[in-house]
Amino acid sequence: MVGQAAARRAAGIILEVIKEGKIAGRAILIAGQPGTGKTAIAMGMAQALGSDTPFTSIAGSEIFSLEMGKTEALTQAFRKSIGVRIKEETEIIEGEVVEIQIDRPASGTGAKVGKLTLKTTEMETIYDLGQKMIESLTKEKVQAGDVVTIDKATGKITKLGRSFTRARDYDAMAAQTKFVQCPEGELQKRKEVVHTVSLHEIDVINSRTQGFLALFSGDTGEIKTEVREQINQKVAEWREEGKAAIVPGVLFIDEVHMLDIECFSFLNRALETDMAPILIIATNRGITRIRGTNYQSPHGIPIDLLDRLLIISTSPYEEKEIKQILQIRCEEEDVEMTEDALMVLTRIGMETSLRYAIQLITTASLVCHKRKGTETSVEDIKRVYSLFLDESRSTQFLKEYQQEFMFHEIGK
Amino acid sequence: MASAWLETLKSAEKTCLVQDGRRKVHYTFRDDSEMVEEYDTRNNELVVRKWKKKGTFGGPAERWEYEVGEQMVPTSVETESLVVSSSNPIFVRKDTKKSFQWRIRNLPYPLETYDVSVNSDDRSITIRTSNKKYYKKFTIPDLNRLNLPLEQKQIKVAHANNTLIVTYEKPAEMMEMERQVQDELKKMKAEKDGDVQCNQS
Repeated sequence: MVGQAAARRAAGIILEVIKEGKIAGRAILIAGQPGTGKTAIAMGMAQALGSDTPFTSIAGSEIFSLEMGKTEALTQAFRKSIGVRIKEETEIIEGEVVEIQIDRPASGTGAKVGKLTLKTTEMETIYDLGQKMIESLTKEKVQAGDVVTIDKATGKITKLGRSFTRARDYDAMAAQTKFVQCPEGELQKRKEVVHTVSLHEIDVINSRTQGFLALFSGDTGEIKTEVREQINQKVAEWREEGKAAIVPGVLFIDEVHMLDIECFSFLNRALETDMAPILIIATNRGITRIRGTNYQSPHGIPIDLLDRLLIISTSPYEEKEIKQILQIRCEEEDVEMTEDALMVLTRIGMETSLRYAIQLITTASLVCHKRKGTETSVEDIKRVYSLFLDESRSTQFLKEYQQEFMFHEIGK
Repeated sequence: MASAWLETLKSAEKTCLVQDGRRKVHYTFRDDSEMVEEYDTRNNELVVRKWKKKGTFGGPAERWEYEVGEQMVPTSVETESLVVSSSNPIFVRKDTKKSFQWRIRNLPYPLETYDVSVNSDDRSITIRTSNKKYYKKFTIPDLNRLNLPLEQKQIKVAHANNTLIVTYEKPAEMMEMERQVQDELKKMKAEKDGDVQCNQS
């Protein structure tokens, strides 16, 4: 990331807070002009939190849907951001591969069949392999002498390492090859694994009408409040028994000015509950009308909610920063650009917008390819600058030629 | 603690049905788990006992777990993932009136190969083979439910027709408890197959 030192420092402090689990239930507002990296900061926070903390990202307009109410969509988003860490028993197969045999049909097409012999120190079992299993075994490059675990429910294969008994002095092998003991006892074991699931996932599993399969279909519709209450109670029970721990995550709502007054009052209430996640909202509006009312308010957010927020503001990028961002972007898109062209592009970025300048990188490089050049030059930039209008030139153009467009009389 | 388990059985919601020469009893317990027992109508021997318990996160369990008897599933030849090959040993519990019995088919090795022992610390029985081909650790849930001890001297092992038969003689308390369960079940009115009322609203 480039620039925004103050905003990033603030985000860093909030990360610290989230990690320590201190103030679940507070909210943060990231405010700033368009194209100043608000979303980028939120995404960065998500990455810094790691995969174990639930992070849900939605856009403000996503909650308006015909299929479910606004508050239902918000509740679901909230519950997606609260994780429950719980122990669950799963059945796994753990053993050393004795032999793996895959038969391809003589015709070359059709299903493959195979056999896998696994052993522990005490026993040996032969398994028949299906198509999918053969594919994942070949993908993992499993061979005789490897110690593997196979999750029975999902079919996921994990290589633990090579068996000690197969170790030879002069075997050529990679430096990271690990040697492990051959497993003991039974091949099929029940193992306790720790999962983090979100409250929403538990909701979906328990909402009778859809059952278990709804998790995969994605479309869940509304969930009854009774179901939610039951689950809250169950989770509280687990927590007291020490079976589960609650992991408050982060809910990020982009373009929050799209929410209306009802949603804001719902948020107010929701933040007060004891299991609320950290709420990060972002907006690029100044003082504007709150949707659903005729009142003006800073950021289009009611004052009572604003009062609960910690506000981080982002400022427009400096020239040097814009240059750096464009440079990074060029590398990302594999575009080589002359120093002069980059200077011109930076000026364009300063005068119009950063996003427009970024768009020009790819288009200019295509123009460069067309004339069989290797390095994108000032000429190419000039060409695409004349081909594609930026927002202010487009407005200018419309003002000049308004009367020649359709329906212009209606607007007057 | 024989009475505790008996009380649980008594308090459970029960339905009884006679079908295909079997008396099938369905129990629903207080914690929403379900159990089905099937008795042979001729000699009242337990043929099947299976359980369906709730998943960790609530929601229905996907399948029945067999405690006694064998699950008859049509194994399709074209499976996606992996299945235990049919040439492997198959472990089934099959009780008689006086004893618990386990039959492990597809075990061709002679009787001297096997070592069946009781571990009293985790209340389980272990079958080992000296040629390291088969190993199985299992418990007797019936005895656990009544909190009765496991004893090595009750175990008998036999081998015939590629099958290893492990027999554990039921203790007297167990027999007594089963008699009481039978008495309880006799009081129930069994529905005959086919005359189930189906009210259409």
